[in-house]
Amino acid sequence: MHTLTLLMAGGRGERLYPLTKEKAKPAVTFGGIYRIIDFTLSNCLNSGIRQIYLLTQYSSISLDRHIRSGWSMVFRHELDEFIESVPPQHRTAEGWYLGNVDAIYQNINILERHKPECVLLLSGDHIYKMNYHEMIAFHEKCGAEVTVAAVELDKESAKQMGVMNVEADGRVRDFLEKVSDPPTIPDDPTKCLVSMGVYVFNTARLVREAIRDSKQKDSIHDFGRNILPYLIARKEKVFAHIFKDENKKTYKYWRDIGTTDSYYDANMDLVSVEPLFNLYDTEWPIRTYYGQYPPAKTVFAYEHEGRVGATYDSIVSPGCVISGGRVYRSILSPRVRVNSYSLVTDSILMEGVEIGRGARIHRAIICDGVAIPAGIQIGISPSDDATRFTVTNRGITVVPEGIMLEYSR
Amino acid sequence: MKKRILVADDEKNLRLLYQTELEQEGYHVTVASDAQEVLEILKTAQFDLIILDILMPGMNGIELMEKLLAKDRRQKVILNTAYSVYKDNFMTWAADAYVVKSADLTELKTRVREVLTGQQAE
Repeated sequence: MHTLTLLMAGGRGERLYPLTKEKAKPAVTFGGIYRIIDFTLSNCLNSGIRQIYLLTQYSSISLDRHIRSGWSMVFRHELDEFIESVPPQHRTAEGWYLGNVDAIYQNINILERHKPECVLLLSGDHIYKMNYHEMIAFHEKCGAEVTVAAVELDKESAKQMGVMNVEADGRVRDFLEKVSDPPTIPDDPTKCLVSMGVYVFNTARLVREAIRDSKQKDSIHDFGRNILPYLIARKEKVFAHIFKDENKKTYKYWRDIGTTDSYYDANMDLVSVEPLFNLYDTEWPIRTYYGQYPPAKTVFAYEHEGRVGATYDSIVSPGCVISGGRVYRSILSPRVRVNSYSLVTDSILMEGVEIGRGARIHRAIICDGVAIPAGIQIGISPSDDATRFTVTNRGITVVPEGIMLEYSR
Repeated sequence: MKKRILVADDEKNLRLLYQTELEQEGYHVTVASDAQEVLEILKTAQFDLIILDILMPGMNGIELMEKLLAKDRRQKVILNTAYSVYKDNFMTWAADAYVVKSADLTELKTRVREVLTGQQAE
């Protein structure tokens, strides 16, 4: 089927603030060198999906630059392949996107220009490996109007998601968004079938629903809230495509990077001895872009005076210099510098961060370019941190981009 | 109170025809000869329904409809054109009805009635 892909990258990402202070959520760094969107785009590339529009909106400069530097050149225009960012065109509406359905409504002209048979709708918010081509083939085989990718999740997590009740043949009987008692799957009362926010729509159906929705006063213009329940109630052919993980582990890996805590957990998985998410599979490569930097380096091994540059159980990106400080169970993006006598544990240091002499960083996320002054402590006293920084429910301290810190003790 | 309809068509005789016939149906009718005139009129007036020809000099009826919907998503619009080919254009689906012009205005009048009473088929 001729498929056009629209990747909705226009949300504010408020629940990830302040990680989203300077950039859209899909552009937030993940796993040292990646951006969150790289996993979805790698899925596209590995599935043979080669016509992609990104519907961007807020703080899109960093995202646009990343796409331009890292992704544009792998799509060949002369073969009718492309990846292009589309900010709101203000053709059929004067304001911002009111929801993900409205983002489609405001871009109907794109669908008119390409006239695809079906549209693959993606978001830049999730970490997973999936072959979209198989989902599109399933959609065609079922003769579906809409196909929703579905993954099994524990019931507690499912309360925050769109949950489906599905017949044996895959037909969706109910779609319930964020309910306190979601329906579980037939053979396991602890698990629910959850929407992954990945949809295949027949184009005509998508256009008609987006237009219908645009005129509804009480709509929040959301696929899960407004479109799917409506179509299912009208007995339209909505199917669930059960997620087949390309991650090659016994456990299916799909993570919604919805909150700073879930962002932290998904990152920290990568530094475990056997991460759930496999970055090393050459059959499903994860592509990204980062600058040309020299190799990571550790210097000073003066163990007798405690001045040791060392990293343990950590991801260390190019351009990093671990200069006499120690790093445990942490993720370092390119160009991080860790100075003497400092100690970094269970933390995420983004690009260009500098950790001053003797500083102590624990369970913290330090955003791009922040210079941590010598001697400072972050993540040791949550109550102290809460007066200066954002501290999550689970006690992760986030030091935002652009902050200027001084040693104050 | 009479429902207010604005009709845009670049053919003078058709404007006269629509005005006469729709007024006989009990509507208050205003006419315009192109998109610019429609936009000018809308600066100071509101209508329950706007009927647009598609092929007009300057901005066509589909572009004009986009502008009208950008201002008010729930503005009722009927596209009224001599050509059925535009039915394949996704944007025309945003209109409340698409009528292929005919000397007999029965269909147009039926659609106008349906749209104004909110009874049009999906």
